[in-house]
Amino acid sequence: MTRIHDTIQDDKTAKMKARDVSVYYGSKKAIDEVSIDISPDYVTAFIGPSGCGKSTFLRCFNRMNDTISVARVTGSIELEGENILDDTMDVVQLRARVGMVFQKPNPFPKSIYENIAYGPKIHGLAEKKTELDAVVEKSLTRAGLWEEVKDRLEDSGTALSGGQQQRLCIARAIAVDPEVILMDEPASALDPIATAKIEELIDELSGRYAIVIVTHSMQQAARVSQRTAFFHLGKMVEYGPTSDIFTNPIEERTKDYITGRYG
Amino acid sequence: MNKSQPNLAPDLTRPTRTPAFEKRLARRYRKERNFKLMGQGAIVFSVAVLIFLLGNMLVNGIGGFQRAELAVPVTFAESGITGDDVSLRAPSAVQTLELQGMPEVVNMFAEQALGEEGAAQLSDQAWRDVAAALTEEPSLLASNEPKTFHLPATSDLASGLAGEGSPEMQALAQQLASEGKLAENWDLNFLARSDATSPQAVGIWGALKGSILTMLVTLVLAFPIGMLAALYLEEYAPRNRWTDLIEVSINNLAAVPSIIFGLLGLAVFLAIFPNLRSAPLIGGMTLALMTMPVIVISGRNAIKAVPPSIRDGALAVGASPVQVVFHHVLPLALPGMLTGTIIGMARALGETAPLLLIGMRAFVATPPTDFTSPATVLPVQIFLWSDEIDRGFVERTSAAIVVLLLFLLLMNSLAIYLRNKFEKSW
Repeated sequence: MTRIHDTIQDDKTAKMKARDVSVYYGSKKAIDEVSIDISPDYVTAFIGPSGCGKSTFLRCFNRMNDTISVARVTGSIELEGENILDDTMDVVQLRARVGMVFQKPNPFPKSIYENIAYGPKIHGLAEKKTELDAVVEKSLTRAGLWEEVKDRLEDSGTALSGGQQQRLCIARAIAVDPEVILMDEPASALDPIATAKIEELIDELSGRYAIVIVTHSMQQAARVSQRTAFFHLGKMVEYGPTSDIFTNPIEERTKDYITGRYG
Repeated sequence: MNKSQPNLAPDLTRPTRTPAFEKRLARRYRKERNFKLMGQGAIVFSVAVLIFLLGNMLVNGIGGFQRAELAVPVTFAESGITGDDVSLRAPSAVQTLELQGMPEVVNMFAEQALGEEGAAQLSDQAWRDVAAALTEEPSLLASNEPKTFHLPATSDLASGLAGEGSPEMQALAQQLASEGKLAENWDLNFLARSDATSPQAVGIWGALKGSILTMLVTLVLAFPIGMLAALYLEEYAPRNRWTDLIEVSINNLAAVPSIIFGLLGLAVFLAIFPNLRSAPLIGGMTLALMTMPVIVISGRNAIKAVPPSIRDGALAVGASPVQVVFHHVLPLALPGMLTGTIIGMARALGETAPLLLIGMRAFVATPPTDFTSPATVLPVQIFLWSDEIDRGFVERTSAAIVVLLLFLLLMNSLAIYLRNKFEKSW
């Protein structure tokens, strides 16, 4: 049974509400009836040992699991009252509203400018070149990358360093001005300095976007998030304010994981 | 502490320090050396064979770009042939000159210069070279100065000059050569003429043009269809029994002997278009059938090699599946697809068997004017010439092979250029 700290029941500001979400890979149940609210007021962190299903669950929020033919999702996830798991949901529009940043930086092998401009272009968000230029500058500035790349926007995105590439991917995600940003271990492939920059960035972006971050690092969860959900074996074991989870976990398993006894 | 003090004496009891271990180690290195030597040997052998093959072709081929020519001085003012700028530049000029007795005139001058025996060894069609020179420069007609033409000899005399054929011919050739009236000259018009009955008069342009037209048809049909099939199978098709069946069929199709495709072309295409026998269009269609599976297979591999992270990235910013394919997957897969295409095209270029079946082995003395006129292709031409009895065809065959190899090289260079142009790193 999931223990939920009573301070956060019935969240009125929630942008997304997941209810009884289960994910099956073929006959194997990877996620078992998880319910959670996502709000722009705080950063939500998913923690848990490898293979606990936290990334799988994250990928439900923009239906990236659609690309895996054997994956099947049940339950409901509402984005402002609309169930995104319905067949009638337009996936392209959903993904424009719910952006995603991946574990390994994956800039397109195109110029830095093209990387950022791609989303706005395909969605027709910028009519003129000057508008597009403005969107690119604004996104790169928000991602804290503008100063570093403004003189070489025509260089390939893949020529940047790992940390810069990841911030480029974040800039690419916010270029279409989404409502939610999902981050799947965004700093796990980066060195500590680049990681610090990403964490700082997450802090700055929260409030404007509802941010969900999956992380292996408990320190990272403690630093950037205000809500934490602990996953184990496909179940959400415990969910609550980050400070409560780390200082006063209710469940024995959570305590074991946080104190490093396994995982 | 005693424990942490380094023990400097070698500890020979460790399993990695025993003599047996060192012996095994030496054996492992020996194995590696032997393997390396064997590999190098294989490379040296194949390079040597290749150099021998190419060298042999080139040496023989150079002879094919030359021909035995007789020097015949012609004084037009004494020829009795009339004409002016207008009539000599008309399209029918050569016929007019023939009616005026041009062949006899050339023969007369040849007899003057070479004697009766020598003149008899002038190629039947030699006068055409003189006529061609006249139509290009009509002012020659008024000239009192003798102008020397180098006209093709008969193939008998040519083989005499090469030290073969009948003894009389060899003697005559030697005599004419010592008088400076017979020589092996560069014959670059070989690249501009078409098939003929005499090796002295043949050219490769007809077959080369036939090959170019056929390859164009093949490329235009096989590349887009193969590419779309590969994209659909890789990106859209559901994984089920039907797509498995299609995949197996395509793999089998790529392994089917080419002559079977020739039979298919004969049974299907020629049944639908019976008038287009030996046309580049039908040849191209038949070869496209053969090339398509190769393009599909290599295209699918190229698409598979595109990292899924790029696809995910594009999907996550809200690209529709077709946008993912055309904006991201295709540009990254294109270099690999081009490589596969060029391998298929190179195979098609060298293909003889299926084209024999659809009638492209006909004797075609004029280059094809369009995709539906009768044509032959380079490998078929090589096959036909290699079958000729006349000794003069041996060198011409080698020359044709050199042309085929150069054409192949050109195609491959183009492919490598395109591949490097589109190649991107990620």
